[in-house]
Amino acid sequence: MHKYEAALLKSLKKGRQITLDEALKDTGLGREELLWAIENLSARASIEAKKGEVENVELSKEGITYARSKMPEELLLEKAQKGKLYPSSLKSKEEQIGFQWAKKKNLVAINNGAIELTPEGQKSLKTGVAEGNALRALEKDPNKYFSLMESGKEAILNLMRRGLITIKKKNAIQWIRATDKGLGELQSEPGTEQIDALNKNIIMNKSWKGKEFKPYDVTLNVEREPVAMRHPVRLMIRRIQDIYLSLGFKQTSGPIIEPAFWVFDSLFVPQDHPARELQDTYYLSNPETVSLAKEKSVDLIKKAHLESWKGDWSTEVAEQALLRTHTTNISVRNIRAILDGMANGKGGYQLPIKLFSVGRVFRNENIDYRHLTDFYQHEGIVIGNNLTFANLFEILISIYKPLGLEIKFKPAYFPFVEPGVEFYAYSEKTKEFIEMGGAGIIRREITGVPRKNITVLAWGPGLERIMLLKDPGIKSVTELYNNDIGWLRKRRMV
Amino acid sequence: MPVVTFDKKYLMSLLPSDMTEEELKSQTYKLGFEVERINKEEISIEITPNRPDLYSAVGLARALKNFMHKSKRFVYEIKDETPAFSINVGKEVASVRPFISAIAAYGLDFSNESLAELINFTEKLCETYGRSRKKIAIGLHDLGQIEPPLHYNAYKDEKYMPLNDNQERSFSEILKTTDKGAKYGYTIDGGNRYPALKDNHGVLSFIPILNSERTRVTARTKSMLIDITGMHGDSVNKTADLLGSIFMDMGAEVRKVEINYTGKTIVTPVMGSRYISIPLQMAEGEIGVKIGYNNIISLANKMGYEAALIGKDIKFRIPSYRMDIINDQDVVEDIAIGYGYDYIRPVPILASQKGELEGRELLLEKASEAMVGMGFYEVLNTYLTNEETNFEKMGIKDAAGFLSKKNADYVRLKNAKAQSITMMRTWILPSLLKNIGISTHEKMPQKLFELDMAFHVSKKAPIEEYHLAGVCADPRSNFNNIKSVIDSLSYVLNLYLKVEQYENESFVKGRCARIMLDKEMIGFFGEIHPQVLGNFGIEEPTSAFEINLNPIVTD
Repeated sequence: MHKYEAALLKSLKKGRQITLDEALKDTGLGREELLWAIENLSARASIEAKKGEVENVELSKEGITYARSKMPEELLLEKAQKGKLYPSSLKSKEEQIGFQWAKKKNLVAINNGAIELTPEGQKSLKTGVAEGNALRALEKDPNKYFSLMESGKEAILNLMRRGLITIKKKNAIQWIRATDKGLGELQSEPGTEQIDALNKNIIMNKSWKGKEFKPYDVTLNVEREPVAMRHPVRLMIRRIQDIYLSLGFKQTSGPIIEPAFWVFDSLFVPQDHPARELQDTYYLSNPETVSLAKEKSVDLIKKAHLESWKGDWSTEVAEQALLRTHTTNISVRNIRAILDGMANGKGGYQLPIKLFSVGRVFRNENIDYRHLTDFYQHEGIVIGNNLTFANLFEILISIYKPLGLEIKFKPAYFPFVEPGVEFYAYSEKTKEFIEMGGAGIIRREITGVPRKNITVLAWGPGLERIMLLKDPGIKSVTELYNNDIGWLRKRRMV
Repeated sequence: MPVVTFDKKYLMSLLPSDMTEEELKSQTYKLGFEVERINKEEISIEITPNRPDLYSAVGLARALKNFMHKSKRFVYEIKDETPAFSINVGKEVASVRPFISAIAAYGLDFSNESLAELINFTEKLCETYGRSRKKIAIGLHDLGQIEPPLHYNAYKDEKYMPLNDNQERSFSEILKTTDKGAKYGYTIDGGNRYPALKDNHGVLSFIPILNSERTRVTARTKSMLIDITGMHGDSVNKTADLLGSIFMDMGAEVRKVEINYTGKTIVTPVMGSRYISIPLQMAEGEIGVKIGYNNIISLANKMGYEAALIGKDIKFRIPSYRMDIINDQDVVEDIAIGYGYDYIRPVPILASQKGELEGRELLLEKASEAMVGMGFYEVLNTYLTNEETNFEKMGIKDAAGFLSKKNADYVRLKNAKAQSITMMRTWILPSLLKNIGISTHEKMPQKLFELDMAFHVSKKAPIEEYHLAGVCADPRSNFNNIKSVIDSLSYVLNLYLKVEQYENESFVKGRCARIMLDKEMIGFFGEIHPQVLGNFGIEEPTSAFEINLNPIVTD
C-alpha cells in the first residue's frame, strides 16, 4: 500500500465519515496527493467516496468589503451611540442602508426625531449583528456555511437576499469513509517496503531483489504525448501530388505575382470583365506593373482580344501587377512555352504532355470565419492530338476516385474554355453535391493553333474543399489556417 | 455569377402547362444553370454571364421549350427593312457616349407582371453585361408620347421633368441630388456636356441616368421605343438584337430604327443571318462521342439553332439573341450540352507516361521531415500581412535596414478590402510568433515550423523565395536550443552552414547569430527579444530561426 493511501485509511480508521477538507487537515497530504489516494482506494473498493453536488459559498465584492470592515448597521449603531444622530443627517448610501436594516431588526428606534439604540441594539453593539458575524466567519472559512445553516439560518438567508453571498453548486466529493475491506487492509498491511520508481541505483546494485514493486493502476488517465505532424493542408497537397504522379503528370510551378496578362489576358478574359475588378483581385502598388517587353505572345493575345471582343486592348491594363486569382497562369505559361517551342521546330516534345501544379491563389476578401484570402488550387493540363471532352471527364474521375470521391458533371462557362464543365462531388457529411471546380478544352484563341492540330484539356479545382468533404473534423476552411497549437495537437492522421 | 430572380407564376405561365417545379429544376440544371432558391412567389437561378439572353423570363422560357422540343421557333428576323423612324446622332456625343441603337415595338399587351419582368430584365442586363450602364444602358419609352425624328447628342445643362418627379430639374441637379445620379454619374464624368435623347418636345431621357416622366411606360403602353446606348458599339448593337427577339416572343411587331451617325447610317436591330458550318466528324471528335447525322440536327434544334446538312458539314444558323457565340467551339459546346453531359462516356487517354516532381521538392520534403523529427509542428499561414506585424512588432524600425539592403523593398498591395492587409510578408517568423501568441494557454514546449514563401522587390521586380522558419517557446528555450536545431539541419541536409555573430533588432543583443552558406548570409537565429515577445503576447522565452532556401534549392 502506498503511503498516501495508508495515511488516508488511518484517518478513516474509526469508521467515521469525513469531508475532503477534513481529510486534508487530518492526513496532512496535499490536495493532488489526497485525490490520487482517494481515486486508487475507491477503485479497489477500500473506501467509499460519495460524489454529488456540493454547495459552495462565494462572497460578492461588497460582501468581502463588509467582512473586512463592518456591516453598515454595525457602523450605524456605533455612530448613533457616540452622539445625537438624525435620519435626515444620514448622507451616504451605506449609512442609509445601515439605518434601514437596524430599524428592520429593531436595533434602533426614533425618539424625538433622533436615532436611539434599543436594548437589543446595545447588545449587538458589543457582540456584533448576526449577519456580520456570519459574514466574517464565512470569509475566513467558507465551509462554516454548513454549520451556520443549522445554527443561524436567518442570517445566511439575509446575506443572500442582500447579495453579499451567493451559493454555487458544483460536483465534488461530499464525504468519504472506509469500507470494511479498507479497514482490513490497514490492519493486515502496515506498510511493507515497495519499490516505486525504478532508478539506475536500484538496477545496478540489485537492491530490488526480495522486494515488491508498487502496483500501478494501469487504467489511470495520462496526458497524451504530443505528435509533431505535417500540416493537414500539406498532407492533402502531397496526396494530390501522388495521384498526379501515378497518372503520369509532371509537376510545374509558376509565379504568384503576375502581370494581368498571364492571369487574365492570356486566358481570353476581356479587359472589362468583372473578374478583374478591384473587389475580387489584389492589385499591387509596389511593383505597380510587370513589364511585358520580353513576352513574345503579346501580339497573338492582343489580336484575339481585338477580333473577338471588338473593343480596345491596352498593354497598360495587361501590365498591372497582381496576385494570381487562379493557378491557370501556370498552365497558360506552359501552353505558350510548349506550343511556341513546337512551332519554332524545337524538338523533344512527346505528345500527350501532362502537367500539374499545386499552388496558392488569392481573393480580395474581408477576413472572417468563412472567407480565406489565400488558399490552394490544384491544376492540370494535357496537351495532345485528338483529345476529347470525354478524355477530360475520364481524367477528372481518375483524380478524384483515389480520394474516394465520385464526381458528376454540369455545363459551365469560363472565358478560356469551350466546352466548359463544372464538377461536383457528393458529400457524405451534408448529403449534397459540393462544387469542386471547373474544367474544359482551352479555346484556340489562347493556344493560337487549330484544334485539329493540338487540343489542350485543362482544369483547376480548389483543394481545401476536398478536405471539407473528407475530414469529418473540419467545419470550415478558415479553421485550417488558424494554427492554434491546441487544434494542431488534437488532430488525427486521417 | 449573376443570380436572377423571376416571378414564378409569370415564368411558369410561359412554359408548357404540364411542367412541374422539379422538371424545371432538372431541365435548367441540364442546360448548365442551377436553381438557387424557389418559394411560393419567386424562383432564383444562377446564370452564367455568357448568356444574358436568359436573364429574361421570356428568353429562359424560350431556351427551356427548345430544350424539351416544345418549340420550333429558331429564326428571329425582321423582313421589313423600312425603318419606323430615325435617330440623328450629333457630333458632341462621340467623346462622351458614342453609340446608340434602337427598336420600335408595336401591338404590345402587357400585364403588370410581364411589364415588371421586362423592366427587371433590362436593369439586370445594364448592371451585369452593361457593367453598371457604362458599356451599355437601356431606356424604355412609351412611343405614343414621342414625336420623331429623335436626336441623340451631348447637350449643355438643361431642365426636363424626370421620371417619378413633379418638377423640372437640370441634368447637373439630377447628378448631384438623385440616387441614380450618384450611382451612374461616373459613366459620363468630366466635361459640361450631358448625353440625352430628344424629340420635338424636348428631353426623353438623360442618358444613361434617368428617363422623362412624359414617356413613362405602364401596363397600358401599346407601343414602345427602346434605346440602347453605350461605350462599346458591338455590344450596343448586339443588345438591340437580343431585345428584338424578346419583344417578338412577347408577341409584338418589331420594327427597325434608322441611326444617322455623321457620315454613316445604320439600321437596328440588325437581326441578320449568321451561319457557322462544322463537319460532323469534328463535332464528334471534340466531344468524344458518336452522334450521327440524324441526331445532330435534332440536338441543334434543342439548343435553339436551325441546322441543315450540307455535304459532310452541318450548317448552324446562329440565333440572333446569342451574343456569346464567337466561333465553332461555342457551337460544339452547345451540341455537347444538348447531348447531355451525363451521357458522355469517359474515355481514357491511352498513352503511358512517368510522373515527375520538380527538383526542389525533394529538398523541401527532407527539410520538413527533419523539422517534424525534431518535434516541430508544421503550420501554414497566409502570405498577406501588414507593416505592423512584419516590421514594427518585430522591433524592425527601418525596413531598409532589415536583413540586407538587397531585400529592403517589399511588395505592397493597392486595394485590399481587409484593412489589416497591406503587404506580402518578407519573412515567416512574424507569422509563427503570431501563432504562438494565440496559444499561450497550451502546454510547453511549443514548437512550430513553416516552409513556404516570402517575398520582396528587387530592382522593381517581385522576388518569390522559399523560406524555412522555426520557433520554440518554452521556459527553458534559449540560444543553444535553437543552435542545436540549426546544427542538426545543417548536418542531416548536408549543407555545411557556418554561424557568425550577428545583430538584429528582433533578437536579444549578443544572443543572435547569422547563418552563412559560403560567403552569403542566408538566415539567422537566436533568442527573441522580450519586447518583441510582449508585442505578440508571448509569455515564455522563445528562440527562433529563419533561412532563405532559394540559394540551396535547385529547380
